[in-house]
Amino acid sequence: MDDGDGVGAPVIGDKPAIERVATRPAEETHRSSAEWIRKNLFPNPFNSFLTVAFGIFVLVSARGLLNFVFSEERGWDAVRTNLRLIFTHAYPEEQYVRVWVCVGVVVALACLSLGLFASEGEGLRLRKISNALNATAVAIALGVVLREPSVLIGADGETVRDADGVVRQSFAEAMADRWAWWLAAAVLAVVALAVRRVPKRSDGSPAAVPTLDFAIGAMALPVLSTWVYPWGHYAFADGEFIAEPGRTVAMSTKVPWTVMWVLAVASLIVGRWVRAQVDERALSRLRAVVAFTWLVVPFVLYWVVLRDPDLDWDRIFTVDAPLALAFGIGGGAVLWWLTADGRGELGRIGAIALLGFAAFHWVAAFMGWYPMLQKVRISFLLLAVMALLAHNFSGEAAKRRRLVLAWLVITTVFHYFATVMNTPSTVETPTEALIGGFAVTLVVAVFTLMLSFPLGVVLALARTSRLPIFRVMSTAYIEVVRGVPLITILIFFVVILPLFLPANMEISLFASATLGYTLFSAAYLAENVRGGLQSIRRGQYEASDAVGLSTVQRTVFIVLPQSLRASIPPLVGQVIATFKETSLLAIIGVFDILRMANSVIPAQTQFLGIKREGLLFVSLVYWVFSYMLSKQSQRLERRLGVGER
Amino acid sequence: MSNEGAAGDVASLSTLGTRPPFYRDATVVKWLSQVVGLILVLLGLFFLASQAQNNLEARDIATGYDFLGTALGSDLGSGIDTDPDTSGRALWVGMVNTIRLAIAGIALATILGVLVGVGRLSRNWIVSRTSSVFVETLRNIPLLVQIILIFVVIASLPRVETDQGPIHGWLHISNTGVSIPRVTIGDGFYQWIIFVIVGAALGWRVMRRQERRHDLTGQQTYPWLSLTGVVAVFAAVGWFAHPVLGWVGAIFDAIASGVDALTPGIVQLVISLIAVGAAAQWIRRFLASHRTPAGLTRLIDDDYFRIIFAGVAAVLVILFVTLGWPGLSSWVINSGRDLFEVIADKFGDGRTGAPIAAYRPDIEQLGNFPNYGPAGLNLIQALAAVYFGVVLYTAAFIAEVVRGGILAVPKGQSEAAQALGLRRTTMLRRVILPQAFRVILPPLGNQYLNLTKNTSLAIAIGYSDVVQVGQTVYNQTGKTLEVVSIWMLFYLACSLTISVVVNFFNVRMRIVER
Repeated sequence: MDDGDGVGAPVIGDKPAIERVATRPAEETHRSSAEWIRKNLFPNPFNSFLTVAFGIFVLVSARGLLNFVFSEERGWDAVRTNLRLIFTHAYPEEQYVRVWVCVGVVVALACLSLGLFASEGEGLRLRKISNALNATAVAIALGVVLREPSVLIGADGETVRDADGVVRQSFAEAMADRWAWWLAAAVLAVVALAVRRVPKRSDGSPAAVPTLDFAIGAMALPVLSTWVYPWGHYAFADGEFIAEPGRTVAMSTKVPWTVMWVLAVASLIVGRWVRAQVDERALSRLRAVVAFTWLVVPFVLYWVVLRDPDLDWDRIFTVDAPLALAFGIGGGAVLWWLTADGRGELGRIGAIALLGFAAFHWVAAFMGWYPMLQKVRISFLLLAVMALLAHNFSGEAAKRRRLVLAWLVITTVFHYFATVMNTPSTVETPTEALIGGFAVTLVVAVFTLMLSFPLGVVLALARTSRLPIFRVMSTAYIEVVRGVPLITILIFFVVILPLFLPANMEISLFASATLGYTLFSAAYLAENVRGGLQSIRRGQYEASDAVGLSTVQRTVFIVLPQSLRASIPPLVGQVIATFKETSLLAIIGVFDILRMANSVIPAQTQFLGIKREGLLFVSLVYWVFSYMLSKQSQRLERRLGVGER
Repeated sequence: MSNEGAAGDVASLSTLGTRPPFYRDATVVKWLSQVVGLILVLLGLFFLASQAQNNLEARDIATGYDFLGTALGSDLGSGIDTDPDTSGRALWVGMVNTIRLAIAGIALATILGVLVGVGRLSRNWIVSRTSSVFVETLRNIPLLVQIILIFVVIASLPRVETDQGPIHGWLHISNTGVSIPRVTIGDGFYQWIIFVIVGAALGWRVMRRQERRHDLTGQQTYPWLSLTGVVAVFAAVGWFAHPVLGWVGAIFDAIASGVDALTPGIVQLVISLIAVGAAAQWIRRFLASHRTPAGLTRLIDDDYFRIIFAGVAAVLVILFVTLGWPGLSSWVINSGRDLFEVIADKFGDGRTGAPIAAYRPDIEQLGNFPNYGPAGLNLIQALAAVYFGVVLYTAAFIAEVVRGGILAVPKGQSEAAQALGLRRTTMLRRVILPQAFRVILPPLGNQYLNLTKNTSLAIAIGYSDVVQVGQTVYNQTGKTLEVVSIWMLFYLACSLTISVVVNFFNVRMRIVER
């Protein structure tokens, strides 16, 4: 939809940062507020006019927004009551702990990775925090004054009206009525003052707190607030909010969030502790393990935790486990034999024969000659691919062991997931999909990215390769997909894909939509990766030729690592774009977060026709996620120094 | 090439002169893998196609594009023809809606985006912060959410008042949408526009002359002012004198009958000749680029592949025209004749009225409800939502593109301009923006493409663009595959057009290096 994220980012992200760094100290030393206002707001007549015009515009817009959001007529209860629907749709109540387990695993893993990976920057300066707090206090005070006085509510609970319309409080009454906001502003201002008073460090550098600690600490505030304020009730039961007697958020919401926070802090501490204990070599291995875990976790969470397969142990012991064992041992033996010293041409011929054997089963399936489990066919194909790569690992025992170990891991993971995915679920939901709301947005986005990334890399390699037929095919694919809108591709996959499948095969809406997103996103990713590939100097190719690397080795060990690093900023832009594009799920009939706000909630009898509130909330959710991602990508870009080399 | 060859050489050295087996020869491996890959892809496509064939037969659905000529059972929400006779006509109406939306959207988004992008770099604190908030808010919320939000907000606006008649204002907003004055082409527009074109051509020459004079003498010669003046004079004269051009229609009538006299065979021949000529031209230029003073460089297999591929493409075009779709040539003839007849119809003795007419919005009773009348330019609810949605969203991205482009101009340029004593506006207009434009243009073209493709989200709120109409058509006829193919061709054509236009300017703007 918009690869503009990526296209613009590299230029845009860098420049202002550099300029800001360069100019800040000089400005900060002598800057009184009167001087600042004169210089930045009223330097000449034209700019004074602009300032006044924009000032009025901003104030009027802010007033309109505040009046809308805090109006007594707003149906925010529609959002508060339906929070659970918005985030997970109709995931069954009694199994809800599974959702929390998923959130917990992601939170713990994220904080563990932060502890292991994150570098300690200069931190957040206290002065900056103080400024932000002050600004918030001023904004609150301004908002309180700007918002029109509330309407009066009569004893019968209805709005009081007279001949001219609704009756409102007087200005003084309204200001007095909003004492809580005044108090909040005052508290913020006092805290800001206190923070500003913290003296400089002993070495003269300004006082600062580590950014990460500050962020996680700040998270405690919303978590704690669930114990005193009813932010959101997650369900209606017989027309009643399920909430605590003391009118806070229900126990089943605030306890999990508190646990999540504790988990976050604990895993951050563990991550840092481990990092302090181990040496450089062990640390890099540990990081590799964590990175691999990230790759597997989405699948485990979705198919094992959320879906809770109803495993048929008889079948597992008689069919699935023996099959996996046979492939593991047999395949391992084949690979061991293939990589033995002096295997030479025989090894290659064997690998190609294996590939032919694997392909034959597919042809047989195509023609319907004999039945075979699909996972056996795929296993043979996987083994053939490993066999083709085998000659890269021949020779030393350690290398051979690594290849066999990789095969064992691949077999285990593949057979495990193949079994789990083919088992019916115990979770009963009213729709075809397992989960809906924001969760389905995240699931589709994550699977799309994980699947489209390898495809995109392959397409990019094909497009830049010296094999003309592959190049033409890849170019045609990329250009066609990039030339048409996403919605036509989604409709193609949802409406037409069933036509292309054999009669006995069915595909769920979720799967076909993910497939459509994947193929679409891959074309854009391919262009981003291609940009990185083109940045590789010729010398790198020549050098790898000089040391006698094969094409595969050169691509995997020399070209891709460098080019992927160079294309990280546009790739993150593509991640954001894909995340935003998931909103199109609503059009093709998936119950995603947008559909909840636009169709499901307005159809509930309590909240008939209430759309704007829900849509605003959805916008906010999307905004928070995209904004955080784009800020992180800019940070990453600066840290990697892409574009500065 | 070189490395596989080199690897092969090393191998042959170590095995004392024995050649590697044929299946390890670099060229063989290269072409074998490609042919196998191609065959696999073709087999996969063949498999899918045969499955589709079976499934369609099982469901008793015939394939083909005959449905384009059959009647459509429902009306369209808006467009040049809200009650089309056939499905094909309905799709055409949808395409026109999409194109109009895209062009109007590109115009407004560019203006807004440039303003915001420049505003973000302003030294005025409040202007730059407002622009930042605009960009950061809009580009981080999915477009679909924004469109639906605007749609819902418009629906919550006050209703149209019941009194009918002209609205005494320029702008009217209600829950039905937005209505603004309509400026429309009048009776003698096409005769008048000839005057304007002649004026523009003449004015262009005058402008170039004035520019040259300025360059030579340094006098202020106002080239742009002269251009405007010449065009204005011609437009003013033409406004009254345009009926004298009534005879132009006869020329187009003659062209139309000329096109009608063509036979399909001739058209096929012409298209084939064009294809062959294009391929030959391409091959000639390709070879020319490989020619050095010492003669033609050695062509590698990849180069031969390109040459063969160009020839194959030409042959494919010829086969498509003659065998694949023989009706194409008569379609070309018919639509060409119709086109010229339509143009001829725009001229004539009866056309003496004013070239341009303007109307202000009005309200009329439509059934039980008051609604906007046809006089004003009415952006109905769905159209307004998708239009402002794509415009605001794209403007945020264009703003970033513009900002990036301006920041990419080296600082020395603005310092030099200041040293020359240029004013800030002059500096921006004559030094910064022309240089920034080179950087801006390619990503700007990307944004135009995105805008065009994003108009397809209109389907979510029921505006009759090509996707929404297509959905209606396939719901009624069941021809999903055909409708999707039409969508894809249409959007590919749009993308191609935009790329060609952007590339044209890109080439013109490029710094000529040595």
